[in-house]
Amino acid sequence: MGLNQRAIEAEGVPTIGISILKEVTQKVRPSRALFLRYPFGHPVGEAFNVQQQRTILLDALAGLETIAEPGTILEPGYRWRRHRFE
Amino acid sequence: MRIAHQVANAVFVKLYRHLPWLASGWARRRRFVEGQDIPWAPLTKPLSESVVALVTTAGVHLKSQEPFNMDDPDGDPSFRAIPSDAPRSDLTITHQYYDHAAADQDINVVLPLDRMRELLTEKRIGGLAPFVYGFMGHIDGSHLKTLMERTAPEVARRLKADRADAVVLTPA
Repeated sequence: MGLNQRAIEAEGVPTIGISILKEVTQKVRPSRALFLRYPFGHPVGEAFNVQQQRTILLDALAGLETIAEPGTILEPGYRWRRHRFE
Repeated sequence: MRIAHQVANAVFVKLYRHLPWLASGWARRRRFVEGQDIPWAPLTKPLSESVVALVTTAGVHLKSQEPFNMDDPDGDPSFRAIPSDAPRSDLTITHQYYDHAAADQDINVVLPLDRMRELLTEKRIGGLAPFVYGFMGHIDGSHLKTLMERTAPEVARRLKADRADAVVLTPA
């Protein structure tokens, strides 16, 4: 996914990617990432958990405005199935 | 060979489902194209005025489109353009390398289109780009070249033509 992200950014469009594998993101080095220690198949959280999905998406969007250093990986630290999204 | 490949896949998908920490071992073993300089494009206007696009590598496509090729162990570097206003019932996932049971129930866990529409209604974003671009991810071997030289740049150009001011990418 990071290769797609790098291609889009190279075309002049700012990007942020959700990452569930920090090791990969650190190797591929996209411009901006939001890392969550979540299982495969759940980059935006659990099914029907609207508040969780919304928070993750808003965090990613905020990163587009706040990240100033290329290669930054944001880590909100929401624990899988433990963090309460309100 | 193809059957052996598919059985091995099914076993790994089950393993990762129950032992998610195995995934970092997979990431360490697998080769990735390592980035050097980091491409950088700044956001040029506030999010509330920006048209945002989604791109996913979770194998999402329209039911009417050709499914991704799951028979090739090196994956499928092609992409599918999906109208952002496509009804949920028109979408499906072709991807045997992850457990998409949750995404089959609620596509928003891999492609948060409903959440994007809510943010648009609330004017947190200025617009939703007309197309979502769906890839399969899990690309290896000769397909990496196709992805990097052909399909990924093509989607980048299309996003520009779609007047996207920013892009959020979601993996599987």
